Amino acid sequence: MSKAILVTGGRVIDPATGRDESADVLVLNGRISAIGSFTEQGVRKDHPKLKELETIDARGLIVAPGLIDLRAHMGEPGHDSEETIAHGAQVAIHGGFTTVACLPDTDPPIDTVAAALFVKRQSEKAGFAEVHPVCALTKNREGRELTEIGQLIEAGAVAFGDEQRVNDEPGGLLRGMRYAAMFDRAVIEYSIDPNLGGGAMNAGYEAMLAGLPGMSSVAEELAVARACMFAREAGCHFHAAKLTTRNAVRAVKRAQKLKVRVTAEVCAHHLAFTDEVVRRQYDTNFKVFPPFRTADDVAWLKRGLTEGVIDCISSGHRPVPPQEKELEFGRAPFGAVGLETTLGVVLTRLVATGDLPLMDALAKLTVNPARVLRLDHRKGSIAPGLDGDLCLFDPKLEWEVTPDALTSHTKNSPFLGSKLTGRARFVVTRGRVFELSGSSARR
Amino acid sequence: MQRAALTTAVTWKRKDLLGLEELSREEILHILDTANGFKEISTRSIKKAPALRGKVVLNLFFEPSTRTKASFSLAAQRLSADLVDVVKEASSAVKGETLVDTGRNLEAMGVDIVIIRHQQAGAPALLGRSLDACVVNAGDGTHEHPTQGLLDIFTMREKFGDLAGRKIALVGDITHSRVARSNIHGLKKLGAEVGLVGPKTLIPGAFKDLGCSIHYNLDEVIDHYDVFNILRIQMERQNKGLFPSVREYHHLYGIDGNRLSRMKTDVMIMHPGPINRGIEISQQVADGKNSVILQQVSNGLSVRMAVLVLVQSAKEAHGA
Repeated sequence: MSKAILVTGGRVIDPATGRDESADVLVLNGRISAIGSFTEQGVRKDHPKLKELETIDARGLIVAPGLIDLRAHMGEPGHDSEETIAHGAQVAIHGGFTTVACLPDTDPPIDTVAAALFVKRQSEKAGFAEVHPVCALTKNREGRELTEIGQLIEAGAVAFGDEQRVNDEPGGLLRGMRYAAMFDRAVIEYSIDPNLGGGAMNAGYEAMLAGLPGMSSVAEELAVARACMFAREAGCHFHAAKLTTRNAVRAVKRAQKLKVRVTAEVCAHHLAFTDEVVRRQYDTNFKVFPPFRTADDVAWLKRGLTEGVIDCISSGHRPVPPQEKELEFGRAPFGAVGLETTLGVVLTRLVATGDLPLMDALAKLTVNPARVLRLDHRKGSIAPGLDGDLCLFDPKLEWEVTPDALTSHTKNSPFLGSKLTGRARFVVTRGRVFELSGSSARR
Repeated sequence: MQRAALTTAVTWKRKDLLGLEELSREEILHILDTANGFKEISTRSIKKAPALRGKVVLNLFFEPSTRTKASFSLAAQRLSADLVDVVKEASSAVKGETLVDTGRNLEAMGVDIVIIRHQQAGAPALLGRSLDACVVNAGDGTHEHPTQGLLDIFTMREKFGDLAGRKIALVGDITHSRVARSNIHGLKKLGAEVGLVGPKTLIPGAFKDLGCSIHYNLDEVIDHYDVFNILRIQMERQNKGLFPSVREYHHLYGIDGNRLSRMKTDVMIMHPGPINRGIEISQQVADGKNSVILQQVSNGLSVRMAVLVLVQSAKEAHGA
């Protein structure tokens, strides 16, 4: 029954162990077996019962742990015309991701054991990236009654959060944090104060010119600062999702200095665009939530990444069908797909520009999100015994983001027409090898 | 100043008029010069020109409008175009076909120029890039109302000539005013000094970055400006808590005889309409000798004729 996958000649970068060297990686029965120098003959000799040996020539490629995404909206249940879990998991593979956390703002929300098990079952059946549910913290995401957090964890919940909560019930969040702390799970809080919400883009000069209602950055600062205070009170791990503003980064930094357990994340697209893009013909592919902010905010996000205040980079993947994105800017829904562009954006707009060393950037896509999701005992690193999840990417492959280059059902990417450098060529997970070069890259 | 239409050296290349922000100083002057030529037509006994004969102009209004729609309609008819009116209920547009679908359907019927008014900023831009037909913005949300800006500037230039160094004040709800934005873009490009007057809750500080000065106290600057362009105050802003009451607004910013007497003697009083008499402007001032409110309306016709002719000629020149 045994199967081996031998990855030879690549540059192995594993942020969890600090390894950066040319080495071969042997995956045996779906788990990392050894890192070193191997030949096919040697492997067969060491493992005489081996039925199958697949070798990947990784020369010129970087061999990293399979990427882990903290933030992908799958649409299922409820909006499976946009993206199913099975297809989303396949899209993730194209982006180099082997593990994806999906979010509970589905219809119905993922707030019951049955819903959590449904996500796991769809993920198992599909056999692509592993999809793990972030479950609602409160029933129906209403901020009042807590969900059955203990049982949801047994059913596979990796973290808790209400996404865009229907009502702002601060008491519910605080109680939820207290309760979740008991199980050592992170509460992922969506960082916009709903009472100050509303608006179609970042408030400020650009919104004034565009004549669109603005979302004030103070709404984000307020929500992040409040959740930091609650985390301190509750002794809970608070994960600040998709930061976009200078002052929210500073709020997280302050809390971290006070030893509050706060981690933070930024979506890749928020590093690449500012609110100036909106007036380029009011293109609704630039309508995301939170909105693209100012150049000063982006500089602070990069600074937060460099200083380690921001631990993770996510895709923020949210498919929106074209008939909805074809509406007027003020009416169109928020959201951008991101699973297939995140790695390229990080390499092109963060690593190549000298803002962040490759090792640090990869940490924010692998081991750090694994820790937030409490999956680091089996994912996020290339170490013997861990899951055999690998992302082999060509750091020099130039490609243009076009609708055809994306495999997601919807093409609502703000990067359409952009050129990125770096793309996954092979993904190894669950004992399978996915070769991506022919199907999607270099079209 | 009197130049014949369509003879100026600048070539107009835009098939759409979406706003004044993207126009150059020369393009703005070109429209105004063209409008000047059309003004003469209004004084003839037969008020028709053949420029758009055989063309179809469509009024696509998603918001109620009396004067802008009538003005565009008359402008199109004086240019001998065929005119179609479509009034859309905003709610049905949300549930039914999208704006782009509506536009494509109408274009399939051979429409040459679409004049659109819409609650959503950017709707004309969306339509403009989806259609081969010309698109003229007749007001989109709180973004721009370019023909209103142009006719205001046209009216100011009739009295003052070159506007470089002229001091123009816009009074009222700047935040929600597309008229204010179009005025600011146009006036700044022509070298005027622009001041914004109103309550702080209705003037975002970001307007300073456009080169405008901001005043919360009208009386302090009352004798500084050559023109006061008074914007309509909308009652629903009070409900949103942006100012406490109509009475307080009138007390602080209403233009009445007393305030008029402290302004420059030849001050020009403008209002894009419709007027809330007794609130932002008193009856006496609106109908007084400094008021050019009705001139604005008649100049609107010439400006809109100019715009229609220019966009259509640009489309034809580019073989669309």
